[in-house]
Amino acid sequence: MYVIIVYDIKVERVNKVKGFLRKHLYWIQNSVFEGEVTKSEMEQIKSGLLNIIEKDEDSVIIYRFRTSDAFNRKVLGVEKAPINGIL
Amino acid sequence: MKKNYYLLSDGLLKRRENTVYFVNKDGKKPIPINKIYSIYAYGSLTFSSQAIHLLAKEGIPVHFFNYYGYYDGSFYPREKLLSGDLIIKQAEHYLNHEKRIIIAKKFVEGASKNMEKVLKYYSLENKISTILLDLTGCNMITEVMNVEGRIRANYYQKMNEILPENFKMEKRVKRPPENMINALISFGNSMVYSTVLSEIYNTQLNPTISYLHEPSERRFSLALDLSEIFKPILVDRLIFYLVNKRMLSEDDFEKNLNYCLLNDKGRKKFIKEYDERLKKTIKHRELNRKVSYKRLIRLEAYKLIKHLLDSKEYTPFVMWW
Repeated sequence: MYVIIVYDIKVERVNKVKGFLRKHLYWIQNSVFEGEVTKSEMEQIKSGLLNIIEKDEDSVIIYRFRTSDAFNRKVLGVEKAPINGIL
Repeated sequence: MKKNYYLLSDGLLKRRENTVYFVNKDGKKPIPINKIYSIYAYGSLTFSSQAIHLLAKEGIPVHFFNYYGYYDGSFYPREKLLSGDLIIKQAEHYLNHEKRIIIAKKFVEGASKNMEKVLKYYSLENKISTILLDLTGCNMITEVMNVEGRIRANYYQKMNEILPENFKMEKRVKRPPENMINALISFGNSMVYSTVLSEIYNTQLNPTISYLHEPSERRFSLALDLSEIFKPILVDRLIFYLVNKRMLSEDDFEKNLNYCLLNDKGRKKFIKEYDERLKKTIKHRELNRKVSYKRLIRLEAYKLIKHLLDSKEYTPFVMWW
């Protein structure tokens, strides 16, 4: 599945969340990650995030799609981090 | 899901926040560790032992290529899938001459049939199937190799009829390649070799025990064996595609007195298309589901394992389209 994760986290934990998500997904812009994951990886991400965040202060929203073809993506302005395997 | 990363620019690979960062002149770029299948390093790459620790832990092989695009070697992480049983069987099939020659012939058969398919796609007459008949009478590995050589000579000769004028080749020249088409074949073959090696890493097979090629020291020769089957499918068809669609031109090569190589621009184009091709899927006839070209290589390794364990005889993969 393809996921987009957006979050609003208190400053003291925001870097933790960013660091954690970097292992699994692509950083797109501030507070937004996306990428292709397996079901089990999704579970890992969810439980990992639940360990870091404080449930009564932070908010994470996960959008799930069957594939990346299920939606249309358009970037206006600067594409901050293009996803590319050739560096 | 996981993908290959191709590092063409010079840079530094380091570990930060339990993932790897690639730092080059354009800046820092984090690569999600869980998304890396293997890394192909073409530029000069510096990487810390901390990065190696992490790559080893995640079982990610790194393949190194030198300035000329030749395969130099791999960082092959500690094997996680070990099977003493299979290694013994692998060695047994090598030591027993009859068993070895059966497998060696299968590799040549698979490679030749795929070459034939490539030519057939361009409706070219060829002698491959006639020469292939000689394989039955072979009792020595050298004889098998000889048949393979003759097929390949016929194949390369026919290849000229597909290529546009400026890309024609007189003969196959390696180390260093003399002209553009030889440069493309050499570059592509070394990529297939490392792709196959990555797949072998993910199976219990030992990459040093081979059947067609001699398992000499210092080489993962089983990867050479298996890549024979996939070279026509992955490299040759890709070359015809790129060249006939005029996607590659003389500007993409660096020419010198006695050698010819792909330059950075050419490499980028080639690698991009190669990677697309690995991800491309076909509907597999036996499995009855979609399978990517990369997966086909793994399935080939599994078939070989089954053969070695005497559970099902190995039949090489032949394109049916």
